[in-house]
Amino acid sequence: MAAAAAAAAICGEDETAARVGCTGEWAGGIERVDLGERKEAVAAAGAGKRSVYLMDCAPVWGCASTRGRSAEMEDASAAVPRFADVPVRLLASRRDLDALGLDADALRLPAHLFGVFDGHGGAEVANYCRERIHVVLSEELKRLGKNLGEMGEVDMKEHWDDVFTKCFQRVDDEVSGRVTRVVNGGGEVRSEPVTAENVGSTAVVALVCSSHVVVANCGDSRIVLCRGKEPVALSIDHKPDRKDERARIEAQGGKVIQWNGYRVSGILAMSRSIGDRYLKPFVIPKPEVMVVPRAKDDDCLILASDGLWDVVSNEEACKVARRQILLWHKNNGAASPLSDEGEGSTDPAAQAAADYLMRLALKKGSEDNITVIVVDLKPRKKLKNIS
Amino acid sequence: MEQQEEVPPPPAGLGLTAEEYAQVRATVEAHHRYAVGPGQCSSLLAQRIHAPPAAVWAVVRRFDCPQVYKHFIRSCVLRPDPHHDDNGNDLRPGRLREVSVISGLPASTSTERLDLLDDAHRVFGFTITGGEHRLRNYRSVTTVSQLDEICTLVLESYIVDVPDGNTEDDTRLFADTVIRLNLQKLKSVSEANANAAAAAAAPPPPPPAAAE
Repeated sequence: MAAAAAAAAICGEDETAARVGCTGEWAGGIERVDLGERKEAVAAAGAGKRSVYLMDCAPVWGCASTRGRSAEMEDASAAVPRFADVPVRLLASRRDLDALGLDADALRLPAHLFGVFDGHGGAEVANYCRERIHVVLSEELKRLGKNLGEMGEVDMKEHWDDVFTKCFQRVDDEVSGRVTRVVNGGGEVRSEPVTAENVGSTAVVALVCSSHVVVANCGDSRIVLCRGKEPVALSIDHKPDRKDERARIEAQGGKVIQWNGYRVSGILAMSRSIGDRYLKPFVIPKPEVMVVPRAKDDDCLILASDGLWDVVSNEEACKVARRQILLWHKNNGAASPLSDEGEGSTDPAAQAAADYLMRLALKKGSEDNITVIVVDLKPRKKLKNIS
Repeated sequence: MEQQEEVPPPPAGLGLTAEEYAQVRATVEAHHRYAVGPGQCSSLLAQRIHAPPAAVWAVVRRFDCPQVYKHFIRSCVLRPDPHHDDNGNDLRPGRLREVSVISGLPASTSTERLDLLDDAHRVFGFTITGGEHRLRNYRSVTTVSQLDEICTLVLESYIVDVPDGNTEDDTRLFADTVIRLNLQKLKSVSEANANAAAAAAAPPPPPPAAAE
């Protein structure tokens, strides 16, 4: 194949390129002002650096969860390696892809999904999100992939907003019984609600591929990127007293009142969620989406429920997670060579970081369920060329 | 000839027609009026249910098991009755229940005393006497009235203190949202029970005619 041959020619084996392979030199979805840097990036590509879009990206994560001091466990989480292939045109412009000799219409990147779902009023909606969000998202990406060929230049952020909004709305509709859902492994179809109308869940989701992290958040769980040892908030909590959220709710005829904290109708302490149909149209399932190119100095991602964030700051969480990962590798570097075999299971270093954060939250007096996922974004093994 | 008395309009926001309100006006006057003082507020809500009053009342009167028709309840335990050890499950005025509340709410527990359980007139009342929540001196009455043979009207009213820092509107919004949701569940549960009872009571179909 001419395209494949051209791609292979550009992306020859190169130890130096491998070392910086996960650098997101092309800011897909984000307008760059620095034209000089772009020229340099294109020149570098021409010089034979391995394209970030052809790098493999192993899922490296740990997950820790506890009921904590609560009577019930209503948190859920999901880690789904290689849950979908992402059309590359959602990540980079056609012009940039053409300059690299890549087939903009055919190339797809394998992506992993990580999610934290903090239920309230019961665990049913959080558990449902754990099982369904990645399936529905995969379907939405396939549907969009089919339509991309007909488009010229693509507004990437707009499409990611569309994909995640449709995904979350679909899951919310299934929860409320507005659309049919498949149960028992596909053997049955049902159209009644998953549970009572006063049960709901947050949903913070990260799609991770070799070039980007794409985040969608609904509710008051949170995701933080640790970059160059500093925290970067990739989500903004949906609290009812957030100025824009309060304005949206009141424009719809709802009311936010302070009743042990700011609450919608005095009851719900978040302004967006999956489920909670008794508070619609004030409480909506629409996520806020961020598309973030990966960078060389990315350390890790931390997704967690407010059982962690209520007692641990973004700064402390980043410092702790990064230190625990480095400590694990320092202590185990020689004895446990990394292998590709365990891609479906957690990474011990990331797991150590997640466990530590969970215990830290307990020690600091968290009174809620605690769920933490740590995704290691540093390449620590030889990356395979997937072209 | 005596002049016909004018029918008063139903209270705004109740969702009742004038004819419906006329049928329950005596009940409202008898059970849903409160002397509201400064720093207090009161509210009355209505729910039509397509089920016989007896089916609805059987659910409403369960002081020991409110989660059958109320949302937001994780568990409910009757306190032992110190005066009648032999009838631990007897529901009489003065009995106390300890309710624990599901997660995510601005409350965790509620201690509630049964005030009224009138099976003849289908009147149920309770007062919140303690617990971790912001509803001080909350007192509530629920009545079950017949509109016609298979349609029932449930009225629920309350009086409560307005918490410091909140307005009457805040307080009513919070309480009414919870009650409205509970009344909708009461409707679902009662109608389902009535349908099940009707199905059980239906005579069996006649045996198929023998083939010639």
